[in-house]
Order: sequence, then structure tokens, then C-alpha cells
Amino acid sequence: MEPESKIRVLIAKPGLDGHERGAHVVAYGLRDAGFEVIYTGLRQTPRQIVNTAIQEDVDVVGLSILCGAHLSLTQMVINGLKEGGAEDILVLVGGIVPEEDIPRLKEMGVGEVFTAGTPVSAVSNFIRAAVSAS
Amino acid sequence: MTENFFLRFMDIHIKKTKTADHSWESLVAGVQARNIRAMARLITRVENREPGWKEAMKAVYPLTGSARIFGITGSPGAGKSSLTCEIAEELVKRGHQVGIIAVDPSSPFSGGALLGDRLRMKKIFTMKEIFIRSMATRGMLGGLSQAARDVARIMDAFGKDIILIETVGVGQDEIEVVKTADRVMMVCIPGQGDGIQALKAGVMEIADIYIINKADLPGADEVMADICAMLNLSSQNGQALPPVLKTSALKNQGISELADSLLSHPAGSSKDTLRREIQAREEILSLMENDVFRAIRSRWEQSGALTAEVRKMVEENKDPYSIVSELLQQIDGKADLFSS
Amino acid sequence: MPENKKETDKIEQAEKQWQQQVIEKRVARFNLSKSPTRFYSPTSIKNFDFLEKVGFPGLYPYTAGSNPFDFWRAYAGDAAKTGYRPDWGGAGGVGKYGGFGTAEDYRDYLIRMHAMGRTGGPNMAFDLVTQCGYDSDSPYAEGEVGRVGVAIDSFRDFAVIYEPYTGNLEIDKVPSNFTINAPAAVIIAMYATLAEKRGIPLDKLRGTPQNDILKEFIARGTYIYPPGPSLRLFRDTCVFCTRYMPKFNINSMGGYHIREAGATRVQDLAFSMANAAAYIRAGISGGLAVDGFAPMLTFNAFGGSMEIYQEIAFQRAARRIYARMVKEKFGAQNPRSMMIRQPITAHIGCSSTTLQRPLNNLTRAVVGGIAAGMSGGIPGAFPPYDEPLGLGHSQEAVQLQLDATRILIYEAKVADVNDPWAGSYFMESLTDEIESEALAEMEKIENMGGAVAAIENGYMQKAISKSAYERQKQIERQEDFVVGVNAFTGSNEISVNVNRVVEATYDPQLLKTAEKRQLRKLEQLKQERNGRAVSAALSDLKKHAKDESVNLMSDICECVRNDATLQEICDVLREVFGEFQQTKL
Repeated sequence: MEPESKIRVLIAKPGLDGHERGAHVVAYGLRDAGFEVIYTGLRQTPRQIVNTAIQEDVDVVGLSILCGAHLSLTQMVINGLKEGGAEDILVLVGGIVPEEDIPRLKEMGVGEVFTAGTPVSAVSNFIRAAVSAS
Repeated sequence: MTENFFLRFMDIHIKKTKTADHSWESLVAGVQARNIRAMARLITRVENREPGWKEAMKAVYPLTGSARIFGITGSPGAGKSSLTCEIAEELVKRGHQVGIIAVDPSSPFSGGALLGDRLRMKKIFTMKEIFIRSMATRGMLGGLSQAARDVARIMDAFGKDIILIETVGVGQDEIEVVKTADRVMMVCIPGQGDGIQALKAGVMEIADIYIINKADLPGADEVMADICAMLNLSSQNGQALPPVLKTSALKNQGISELADSLLSHPAGSSKDTLRREIQAREEILSLMENDVFRAIRSRWEQSGALTAEVRKMVEENKDPYSIVSELLQQIDGKADLFSS
Repeated sequence: MPENKKETDKIEQAEKQWQQQVIEKRVARFNLSKSPTRFYSPTSIKNFDFLEKVGFPGLYPYTAGSNPFDFWRAYAGDAAKTGYRPDWGGAGGVGKYGGFGTAEDYRDYLIRMHAMGRTGGPNMAFDLVTQCGYDSDSPYAEGEVGRVGVAIDSFRDFAVIYEPYTGNLEIDKVPSNFTINAPAAVIIAMYATLAEKRGIPLDKLRGTPQNDILKEFIARGTYIYPPGPSLRLFRDTCVFCTRYMPKFNINSMGGYHIREAGATRVQDLAFSMANAAAYIRAGISGGLAVDGFAPMLTFNAFGGSMEIYQEIAFQRAARRIYARMVKEKFGAQNPRSMMIRQPITAHIGCSSTTLQRPLNNLTRAVVGGIAAGMSGGIPGAFPPYDEPLGLGHSQEAVQLQLDATRILIYEAKVADVNDPWAGSYFMESLTDEIESEALAEMEKIENMGGAVAAIENGYMQKAISKSAYERQKQIERQEDFVVGVNAFTGSNEISVNVNRVVEATYDPQLLKTAEKRQLRKLEQLKQERNGRAVSAALSDLKKHAKDESVNLMSDICECVRNDATLQEICDVLREVFGEFQQTKL
């Protein structure tokens, strides 16, 4: 079999929030969509997420946040990526995000926000389109 | 039902993602300049076997040769990732620059993979002396060990002087990977008897250090006795037995002793020379095998010969042995080169 | 009652005929492979023994209910006339579940609540920093201090919350709830220390800590130590509460979080029962008699789905399994040991609510309320319809939720009959089915070595992640339907305006400055306290932590008394116990 290029995605849970269901489901779903998914578990600091994203050379960082701290945590990750010269990595956010915060996240540079009820196939299609468009 | 979701998400402006504007030359230069992003990017492109990868590796090769490569294998659940993390931390304390390659299997169905070894390595994510790369097996025919070798070389060129390759000791591919290491650690745990199972599965000959991890659990001494007995049985006269060590990654016990044992190994012993020769031979053969196979296959596919022969086999009941020898004859013209 | 063989045969015969002459014809007429509905008859529950399987409400095996009626039901009539407004999660005399900012912020909030007549005891939510055993100055705390609950760094913070609780609201008069798990021992020690400083006998204290650490590994993620040492801490709190605080519940376990994390019904039941068994064993290993402490174990809730019949059967099966387990396996004799004490029975679970067309969630909640009323609980229409829209509920959503519950109680009268499904061929058969599947799963866990082993080897965590993923795939493939999500969607969608005026309970300005104010207090504490006494208390704790047989509660109380911080206490234990490492997916 010929080796081929794979889309690599980091699914990360920043902060102390321990609700992992969404992250797990998305990780499984993206694996089954043919992506290489790096899952780092709970309690990741923004610094850890940024370092992992750069070392693993991922195309996408997916942040799963359900504790209401999405604005500050996402900002820290995006700043860190910028500092590490990795601002081209696509950042996506999933979890409990009130509608009014979505434009603010996008202003920060988040590619898309996926809230409850989003099919995983929508996430994988979005990623595939975004990554191949580059 | 998903259509409306797709519509919602697809019409938005898509941000630029990873740009492939880096030339091979600039990436190799970046690695030499210790640019982490360049190393990570180069690894991706070499792993993807993008056109030009071999030329890039030719440029990387002269920069390598100073790193020692240690393989870590063992059954699932033996605590390899935690142990890798502890060893890496200990080696950094001793002044080393460490690269880690953590291998996980790709899904045979989707080709995707869930790479989770980092879960157990959180505390070293932000240490600047450590670079971790997760690798999926990607179902490459014998290609995994070559890809791992390449990744290790890129890390070596960057300046990592110790490279740890962690992989599950099941499946031929994974075993081939650890065989590329200078020294191989085999991780067993008390209670399950898995360690012994793995020994039987053929990792026995390649391991240089045996580790009983989670040694604080009951049954550690029994596993130790089992392993020692096995090693004694299979040892040849006068040959020194490989060390058998107890560790607990969770409690950080035995790690320093393990690091001592790893590092104390004198380079250039006759056994090492022999191993290096075997590894070199295997690498040359595997690269060549790969190239020859790819060349022949693509020619057959493009000319339509393969399709035609498949049809003959299915519809006319032609035997596959003749098909292959005939096709090879066409390529070479000399039947004796391929006949055996 | 012996079955009448002749009668049974007759029914069986009739059923077979019906199957052939009616069902099969109908199925063929609509070109189906099988019937989309089912019917249950006496053949579904052959040899049904009423007393053995169901019994009477308030009697073993409690299938028909732990109590014939609860406190709220007794006074439901009076409550209707007075306009009584129950607070969600505020059962048993505690106020609304909440907490935010610093201890001072939360104290001031409680004072405002008291002025409004809501005088229940504090029902505390802690911020994630506290839940994970860190102080506000930990690098992990950045951005999280006081966010999802109140920040507690030391006994001083804890005592501030209780400033308004004096006189009629003294802690020997009102109970307290603490939704805390990994550092539960520290919070219980704080409560005991508070009583000690106020000169109140510990045996007068009432309240409930969540103290259900095992489900944290499986579902909620706020663990600290590995499962073994965590259970040892549970043992120590269990023994301490039993000896000194006999009116204080030991824990509040449940499968609610496990289900929300993706478990199937059977996994939910089996895992929470396996956890309960582990807690009971821990108490016994601490030298207690089962009847000495089991009556003080409580459950918060388990279950949670839209499948109303299954959820009712689930509650019945849970009561029976627990009663039999505690009696037969652990030899309890006190009936109170055997009953599931929980404020909520069946419900839909927050994960059944949808972001799409959120008003539908009110309909969903009402279905859950009916199931609750039919399974022995308050028919609570839970949660408010705007649950999935973000953290916090609007006044309108809360009002609709409360009224829905009232309509179910007073107009529909769902709570006037105990276990209305008792004896139903269908419900009894379904209860048996869920019970036997859960028992089989429990046995599997037992063979692994119990809940702790099944967590250590990652079995439970992996099992529920897989179930969550399976459920997701089912929805995406449209094998199961969720209205407005994967079914009945399209261009004809009408947008319904949703009121999102969230009750301004927490001042957002205060939240912004909470971290800074908390840090200042922490710094001050470290300057003012007796450093030598702190070190001495911590080093005693460390020494004793190494000896598994020692109960650590008195050492922890000593640390608390001397103003050691929550993280300092947890760090000492981290050093001895290690930290839990997640298993791979």
C-alpha cells in the first residue's frame, strides 16, 4: 500500500473541566474519517496544547471546552500558536458556547465553533475542505 | 439530515491552513538551526513520502550519527508510555536532549488513527529538551520501520542525542521498528503473564534489557523469576545475560537505575558491530525492495498488464505463478534473475 | 401463588394464534420484516412472584418505592396555597445549588437569598480549581478561579461562607451540601472544624458531601489520586462521619454523570452499583458494621433518557438490585441500609435536551417529569428548556419548569399513586430484563476485581466512550431520531424567539476580579499563619498517609485548623499516593 499524506488533528481539553464525552466522540469520529487524531486527555494548559500542536505538526487543533472559560482559554492557545510561528494551524472550538460568544471567538481567529448536536461528519467535512483548500 | 449542517458550515470563509511554502532545503536548514517547527514539518513531509523525500534524507544523513536510539516495547497496558516519560525526564536531568517517537496502530478500516501515547507524558510536554512525535503505523508494508528510522535521523540531525521509540510489541511491523534501535527494552508487568507471552512471540532475541514495570504490584518477583529462568535456558555459554530491572513509573522507582543501565552500555562492542551490520543490511534491502516493488507495480498498473492478468486468472483460471514469472520476464528479459 | 398451569397454557395458545393470525398478517400487509410494536401478556412474566419481585412501597425489595410518600408529597397541599417555590437541587432543607467567586462573593449572595426568604443551608458548588485540589495561585487555576463555583483555598474561606449562618440558621439547625469529590475529606474536615470553633457538637451536624470519587474517574474527571488511595480517603471519611457526625450523610453517589458521559442504561446501572459496592466494602474494611453506616449512604440520581418506559423500569430495577445486594452480599439487616435514598428518580438527563429548537426541551422535560412521578419521585420537569444554550437559565425557563412540575403534581395528579406500573406484564418484564443485564455486567466487573480494578484498567471509561460514540453514529445514520436535530428539519423551519434574560444572581464584575482578590487573601494567609505549625501538621499527615491502615481525618483536621491550604494538603497526599493517569482510549 502506498503511504499517503494524512490530515493530523489534535483534540485537546484545556483547563480543568473534565467532561470528555464530546472530545472522545469527535476523536473516534475523526479517526473513522481517516484522520490521525492525537488525543492528550484532560487538564491541558494552553502551553502544553501549543507545544503538542507544533511538535506533532497538526493541521488542526480542536479545543473542547464546557466550563464557560472558552474565551480566555482559546485566546491563550491562539496567542501561543502565534508566538510559536504556527498561526497557520486551524483552530476549532467545540462544547458549550453561547451564541453571542461565537463571533468573538471567530474574531480571535477560530475557524469554526461546533456546539451540541453537530454531527461528527460535519466536523470532518469541514476539516477536509479547510485543509485541502490551503 | 446532515445536509443542512454542512450548508451551515461549508459556506463560511475558510481560513488558510498549513502552507507548503517551505522548500526541502529550507526545512533541512531549519532543522540544523534547531527550529522546532522545521523539524516537525520535515518529519511530516518525509513520513508522507512526498516527492523529494529521499533527496532530503540524503541531506539529513550527514548531520546524523551522534544519537543513541533506544526501543521500548511490551504488551498493551504494560505502562510503556509512562515509563518512556519517566526515562525521558531522567535523561534530561542528566543533560541529554531527548526525542520520543510514539507509535500507535492505524485503523485498518479507515486508515485513520487515534494516537494516545501522549496521555501519559503530560508532564514533559513543555520541557524544551524533549520533542515528542506520535506516529501511526499507516499499514505501510515494511515501511513503518523505515519511516521511524527517518524520523529518528531527523531528530538526530536536530541535535537530540537520545531517541526513544515506543511501540506495542504485537505485530511484526512493530517488532521491526524496535529492531532499528541500538538497544531494546522489553517491558513486562506482574500478574498478567503477558510479558512472558511476548517473549514467546519472538521479541526475546532482540531485547537487551528486561523491565518489570509496576513492580510495586504483587507478583513482580514471580515475573522476574520467570524471565530469568527463560534467559538462562536460552543463553549460550559464557554469554552475559541481559539485565532484568524492576521499575514503577507511577512512583518513579527504579528509573535512575534503568537510565544507568541504558547509558552504561559501552558503544562499539562486537555485538554492537554485528547488530549495526544487520540493521544496515536490512535498511538497504528494505529501501531497495520498496523501490523495486513500486517501480514494477506502477509499470504494471499503468500498462494495464496487471488488470489483464487478473482477468485471466479469474476468468480463464490461469495460475498466478505463471503470471508473475511471465510478467517479470517481460521486464527483465532474463528469466534467471527472478526465478528461484 | 402457584400458577394455574392450565390457564397459562391457554393464554400461550391464544398468543400463538394471535401472532399468526393477526400480527403476521398485519406485518405482511405493510410489507414489514417485523412488527414495529410489542404487546405483553402473562406469558411475559411467567412465575411472577409479587412479594419477591415488587412488594409494597417502603418495604423490601423496594421495587415499588423507597417510601410510600416523601416529605414533599406530605405537604404538597399546603405548599400550593403558600406559593412555595422549591429550589432545584435543594432537597432536604438546603438552598439552591450554587456558588461563585470568592467566599465573600458567595456569602453576600447567600445573604441576599436569605433576605428573599430562601433560607436553606448552603448547597455549595466549588470551582474546578478547588475540585481538583489546587489553590487559586496554582498555574492550573488561571482563568478558572470562582468560575463554576466558589473558590476555597483554606479554612478561612470556608468560615466566611458561614458568617450569615448563625441564630436560627446555625449549623446545628440547617444542613449543608458540598458537591465535592476528590478533596471531600478536606471539606468535611473544614465543616467539622467550623463546628468545633463554634462549640457545636459534631453529632448535631447535618448535610451531604458528594464524596463519590469513583464516578469522577469514569465520567466527570475531577480526580486527583489513583482509585485505590482515593477509596482509602473515602473509607476515612466514612469512618469519621459514622463515629462523629452520625446525622451527616456520607456521600451522594449516582450514575447520572455516568449516563451523561455516554453510558448505556445497563452500564449506568451496573457501574453505579459496582461503585456502591466498593464504597460499602471500604466502610467495612474501616472496621464498621454495614448497618452502622449504610443508612447514611445516599444517591443523587441515576438514569436519564427520553425513553420513559425504560427509565421507569430502570428505577425499579435499581432499587431492587441495591436492596438485594446490601442485604444478601453485605449482610445488612437494617431496612434503611437497603433502600436507595435519592431526591430525584427518573428524568431525561441534560444530554437529552437539544440546542436546536430549544422550546422542545420543555416538552421533553415534561415527559421526564411524568416518568419521575411514575417511578417514585417528585415529578420534576427537569431541566429548564434553555439548559443547552449556555451556562445559566433564564427566569422564564425556570418559571415554565416549575409550573410544569406543579401541573403534573396538582392537575395531572401523577404522584398520587405509588408505582402505578406494578404488576404490569410489560413493566415487570422490562424491569427483570434491565436487572438481569445489569447483574451480568456487575458480575463482569466483580470478576475483574471490582470497581477500582475496572477503573484502573480503563474498562469502564472505554466502555462508556464507545457507547457515546455508538449513540452518535446511530443519530448520524438516522437509526434513531431526535426531533429538530436529525429528523423533521428543513427549509420550513420557523425561528422561535427565546428569552435569554438570565437571573442576575452572580455579578459578572465580581467574577472578573475574583481571581485577583483570592490571590491577595491567599498571600495574606501565608504571611499571617504559623508556618511552623502548618509544616508540622503537614508532615504528620504525610507520615500517616504512608501507612494504609491509619485514618487520616484527624491529621487533615489538624492541617485545616492550622490554616494549611487545600492544595498543600492535597499535595502531601499527591506525593504519597501519586496522581491518577488516564488510560488510552
